[in-house]
Amino acid sequence: MKMMECPLNGPRNISEFTYGGQVQVMPDPQQCSDLEWAKYVFYEDNDLGVVREWWQHTPSSYWFIAERHNGSDVILRTYDPATLFTGRVDFQDEGSPS
Amino acid sequence: MTSGLASPVGAAQVPAPMTGKTLALHDLSLALRSGVRGPGAADWLRTQSMPTDLQPNTIENISNGRLLMALSTREFWLLEPDADASAAAPPSAAVATEAWPLYNQHSHAWLVLAGGPKADMMAKLCGVDLRENAFALGQVAQTQMAHISVIVAHHLWRDTPVFSMFVDQSLADFAWTALSDAMSEFRASTD
Repeated sequence: MKMMECPLNGPRNISEFTYGGQVQVMPDPQQCSDLEWAKYVFYEDNDLGVVREWWQHTPSSYWFIAERHNGSDVILRTYDPATLFTGRVDFQDEGSPS
Repeated sequence: MTSGLASPVGAAQVPAPMTGKTLALHDLSLALRSGVRGPGAADWLRTQSMPTDLQPNTIENISNGRLLMALSTREFWLLEPDADASAAAPPSAAVATEAWPLYNQHSHAWLVLAGGPKADMMAKLCGVDLRENAFALGQVAQTQMAHISVIVAHHLWRDTPVFSMFVDQSLADFAWTALSDAMSEFRASTD
């Protein structure tokens, strides 16, 4: 069976993981257009090459980031999301003043 | 049985200890357990005079037969296998700054497997190597068993090495049946 290295739990069967989509830079929801937001939520680049993706280790509910070549399906490395995301994002209600 | 609580195991069978000559399976779902999660969880442990240096996926015997299990750097379970669970509603407010209580008393069933060939038996159900040389006392594995999510903890209970297994309450009957089925091979070879 294919294996994946979970940064928290170590190597596990790929059946223990759930795909969570491409890692993207979130546009400012207060400033971006509807099209920009729709692209962020619904679209993926689908380029051939090394892609950066969200994955979850299901038994521990632990989310992390994997870099994978989507042509060969080789997983190059995995790491904790704190490597990329260092701060908390607080969302405001649409109606409240910014 | 703890007043007001019922084990999630037992719709199809009596949840009494199931003992073979080599393996025993116990239902500890009515034993006391609690937990805390959040960025402030380790600080809360310090205020309770509990160890704060546990690595993720480890378990340690602390005082009075209690066990402390670390599932990450932000989530800790306190297990008391010889104390009865309380039927009182669990707290819902934060226990400290950025530390919240867990409902593991109500979310998970607690099964305990004891006996020499327990790792060999688990190899039928679980992809992780649980033999002593790979999964020593004090280690925890968050993985799958019989295709369901499980937390397996290797620790001492009443001076005996056991695997504590925590599965979702809704899957408790299934887990009990799957474990019983796997155990039958070992009972058949020794009875």
